[in-house]
Amino acid sequence: MVRVVVPSMLAAQAEGRQRFSIDGGTLGEVLHALPVADLIFNERGDLNRHLNVYVDGIDAHELGGLSSSLADAQEIRVVAMVSGG
Amino acid sequence: MTTAGGITEMWGKPHLPMRQNRLDRIGTAPVSCLHSTEARSAIGVLALVGTSKGLFLLQGDEDRQRWLVDGPLLEGWGVYHATRDPRDGMMYAATNHRVYGSTVQRSGDGGRTWGRSKKIGLPEESQLTLEAAWHVEPGWPDEPGTLYLGAAPGVLFRSDNGGETWEVNRGILDHPTRPRWLPGAGGMCCHSIQLDPRDRRRMYAAITAAGVFRTDDGGESWTAINRNVAAEFLGDPHAEVGQCPHKLLLHPARPERLWQQNHYGVYVSDDHGDSWARVDGNGLPSGFGFPLMLDPGDADTAFVIPERSPEYHYSSGGQLAVYRTRNCGDTWQLMADGLPKQAWSAVLREASAYDADSLYFGTQSGSFFALTDGDRWVEAVRHLPPILSVEVTAWSG
Repeated sequence: MVRVVVPSMLAAQAEGRQRFSIDGGTLGEVLHALPVADLIFNERGDLNRHLNVYVDGIDAHELGGLSSSLADAQEIRVVAMVSGG
Repeated sequence: MTTAGGITEMWGKPHLPMRQNRLDRIGTAPVSCLHSTEARSAIGVLALVGTSKGLFLLQGDEDRQRWLVDGPLLEGWGVYHATRDPRDGMMYAATNHRVYGSTVQRSGDGGRTWGRSKKIGLPEESQLTLEAAWHVEPGWPDEPGTLYLGAAPGVLFRSDNGGETWEVNRGILDHPTRPRWLPGAGGMCCHSIQLDPRDRRRMYAAITAAGVFRTDDGGESWTAINRNVAAEFLGDPHAEVGQCPHKLLLHPARPERLWQQNHYGVYVSDDHGDSWARVDGNGLPSGFGFPLMLDPGDADTAFVIPERSPEYHYSSGGQLAVYRTRNCGDTWQLMADGLPKQAWSAVLREASAYDADSLYFGTQSGSFFALTDGDRWVEAVRHLPPILSVEVTAWSG
């Protein structure tokens, strides 16, 4: 189980829940299991351009992106980039 | 899922309940209208005001002098358009966010809770992706659950399950003239969808900057209907497509008559758009503008809010003003009583509405105006976020 924390606007789209505990082998599997996955991914399955994802504080891009294994990861944070306004 | 009004599980989990904000949260009250938190009158008008930061519901009493405000609902979302389906009372909102993308949200309990559509997208082979959701239009009265969604890049969707899922219209998506379409400053948006109340197979779609299109076969094929409509930014100013309609309206009692506020002028058609006459001379300070309003009781009457020019995008002469024609554009008269004398303001394409009794519009500077008896405008609310859209419906309570 890994803990996933989402921004407040996404929480408002998920009955107010900001934190989720989700099982999954890869980062992509966990994020796709969120009830707000449609607001995180575009229609081609890519992460929205103005979102960053951190796994235990490390930018997911540095870990191999959505296919990266979560192994012993504790917390995933979904963060709106400053470029998103 | 336990929300009121018949929203079912297909719409997923409800969002947070709306906050019961009242006028005292809005800030400064306009000088022209005292806000009230007293009991609502028995009948009046409900305005759905979409802004860049959420949706506001404005309830006006019968004479439109006193208004109550709820909101923001859908906080943080840019509400490009919101409407109440007259067939079942459902509210729909075309919502967009720079980070979280575009979707349609629906409420069956007057805005208290919302659910959103399943992911809206375009076929991969089109090499297009959804850029913005612009306008939700309820279908004909005898097709409950059918809705149309205008979106960017120049696409039209249809839903037959109350907005749970959306299917793109292939006739528009694959239109042979698409390579000649251009995006306007707000993208290549399909913003106006008009259904002929007398012909279930005829409807219209206006796309910036592609032009106006009509289907006579229920959406299978679409004909560009832009004859005599100027497109001075093109090499051929009267090209088949590439025009920039800013707003298209069909007269509900005389559906062969169409009105169009275009990038270059105001136009009227009396033959379902087969030909157009430009009618923005004789009293209009400018042919450039976005909003358009009609009088359901008189097909010769229309209202526009001109802006100085495409290069400036604010009110002509620094005065916010509505202009009315009562003779199909032969002459135009100023209607500015109650509007600010000095205002470098702008009203967006979706930010005006009309009903049998009045006219309504909202500005990018966050003011909402309603026309009251004696042709006097009342600033019902001010200091909202930039207003993107306005729709009105009757309410009683």
